[in-house]
Amino acid sequence: MASLTLNKIVKRFGSLQVISDVDLSVEKGEFVVFVGPSGCGKSTLLRMIAGLEAISGGELRIGSEVMNDVAPAQRGIAMVFQSYALYPHMSVRKNMAFALETAGLPKPEVEARVNKAAAILQIQNLLDRKPKQLSGGQRQRVAIGRAIVRDPQIFLFDEPLSNLDAELRVQMRVEIAKLHRELGATMIYVTHDQVEAMTMADKIVVLRLGKVEQIGAPLDLYNNPANQFVAGFIGSPKMNFLDATLLSSDETGSVVSLAGQSLRIPRGLAAVHEGRVQLGIRPEHAMLSSGDIALGQMEIVLVEHLGGNTLLYGKLSDGQTLTVQVEDQARLGMGDTVQIFANAARCHLFTGDGRAFAAV
Amino acid sequence: MSERAEERLPGVQYSRWSGIRKHTMLCCVSLVMLYPLLWMVSSSMKPENEIFTSASLFPSHFDLSAYKRGWFGLDVSFGRFFLNSLIVSVLSVIGNVMSCSLAAFAFARLRFPGRHLWFSLMLGTLMLPYHVVLIPQYILFLNLDWIDTFLPLVVPKFLACDAFFIFLMVQFFRGIPRELDEAARIDGCSAWRIYWKIMLPLSTPVLATAAIFSFIFTWDDFFAPLIYLGDPTHYTSQVALRSFIDSTNQSDWGGLFAMSSLAVIPVFVFFVFFQRLLIEGIATTGMKR
Repeated sequence: MASLTLNKIVKRFGSLQVISDVDLSVEKGEFVVFVGPSGCGKSTLLRMIAGLEAISGGELRIGSEVMNDVAPAQRGIAMVFQSYALYPHMSVRKNMAFALETAGLPKPEVEARVNKAAAILQIQNLLDRKPKQLSGGQRQRVAIGRAIVRDPQIFLFDEPLSNLDAELRVQMRVEIAKLHRELGATMIYVTHDQVEAMTMADKIVVLRLGKVEQIGAPLDLYNNPANQFVAGFIGSPKMNFLDATLLSSDETGSVVSLAGQSLRIPRGLAAVHEGRVQLGIRPEHAMLSSGDIALGQMEIVLVEHLGGNTLLYGKLSDGQTLTVQVEDQARLGMGDTVQIFANAARCHLFTGDGRAFAAV
Repeated sequence: MSERAEERLPGVQYSRWSGIRKHTMLCCVSLVMLYPLLWMVSSSMKPENEIFTSASLFPSHFDLSAYKRGWFGLDVSFGRFFLNSLIVSVLSVIGNVMSCSLAAFAFARLRFPGRHLWFSLMLGTLMLPYHVVLIPQYILFLNLDWIDTFLPLVVPKFLACDAFFIFLMVQFFRGIPRELDEAARIDGCSAWRIYWKIMLPLSTPVLATAAIFSFIFTWDDFFAPLIYLGDPTHYTSQVALRSFIDSTNQSDWGGLFAMSSLAVIPVFVFFVFFQRLLIEGIATTGMKR
């Protein structure tokens, strides 16, 4: 188990800079998730930590040692790949033992470590099979087992669940979280699935275009997103953003005008800001009754019944679209008109360039 | 539903007559292709006076004396020529498979200065006719005092001189997922160990292909042994077969066809043995693509 520090890490492919000045500190035993849309650089950053990509600038430390130019095998890391990357011609036992044999460990120790990892992952009965004889979930377990036997200081996971079906993904998510608790190891996990990020992480790093947008605990990111991108990325369904006009802003909050109504939102901005803003409301925070602010009437254009809750897609009187998530099974249909309310404390405000107003 | 019926595509009309027509045509074409070979084998069993007088594949009576004549008819036993061919062919297979796979691994996986330039140059050698390099090569081997030994036939094979096999293997290696190399690097493998423990075991189909072609090309090669081998005891079977045809005296066609028929057997056996490896295909089922 070790800590990890990234200091102004940069990655360039020729003249193209894909990772820009990333600073990050991962504590011992922490579960950190890199999340972001495709092409944001999360996998590249992970591969730089693994030593599979050269670092163009900045400093990478594992524990107290600078690791920029250290070979992958000497970094004390183990990596689980999206494609599993099991050696197809070797049995599960051989796959798991391969790194230890390469390191020249004595046979009894190799055997003991493989058996221990197999017991943790409950794959003892699969040890003599070849990868092609395993299901997707079993292969993923073996890939994790291959990482465990090395007893690494840091585990790296590169979208390990994206090839599994939805049910298995949930199951493996729980198992990886459990494994983290049991091993107490430092883990860095890359995903584009914000649900995985929210449910597994101690700390989430949101990336966009090679830059860190925000780092924080899952609920911090959910409750206090630093900007409009993070607010839109974290949370499902996605946060609604409504065009509004800022009328005033002080230490007690801001007043905005939306569809002809003045709404007081308990969020402020240090710098003076005027003009157009975005009012952010999560679908689960918009209500059909009993909120302290009224957003006006919404005409429903689509209803999705999910069983436990219902998603209503509609248009406000000024034409802006809104998604509302109501609990249970709402008896509503297309063309119906409903009144939309929200609690001001759960609303967000963003400047025109996407910065968030702070909660007051 | 029978297994045969299950194989049929839905919506496609299968007619019994079209099947018969198709197979009859395939048999006819196969016969045309096989006729020279069958004629050669049949001629090896015909009495000498029947070889060029009857086009029939069936001899009036079986006469195997041509085999005895062919085997012992030259100054050196034909067993010696087969052995020479075998030595040169097996060493060529080993050399080509080893050296070309190493070169291909380097081109496919390693980063080194001028990689693309070297690869282009290597491919460029494919365009050169053999006859262009023959004289420089001959002078080189003459200076090395290798003429009338197997060395000119074998040593180049250990130096990855066969661009065709390198190209074949590079294409194959490029198809092996790079994540396997990366996983191996994290597992502590050097480039050599990745080649030896990961790439080679996954490359049996292309190695088998290279082995088959290399064996056939070398076994059937007439020109290079003719140029480099002078002493009849060093002749390979292809060069030795030429000895049955005499421009001044009478040629022993029966002996020639008998030994030619025997010369086909090693190639046939080699192909049958290695083609199993070809069809096994690459086992990349440990990867999820």
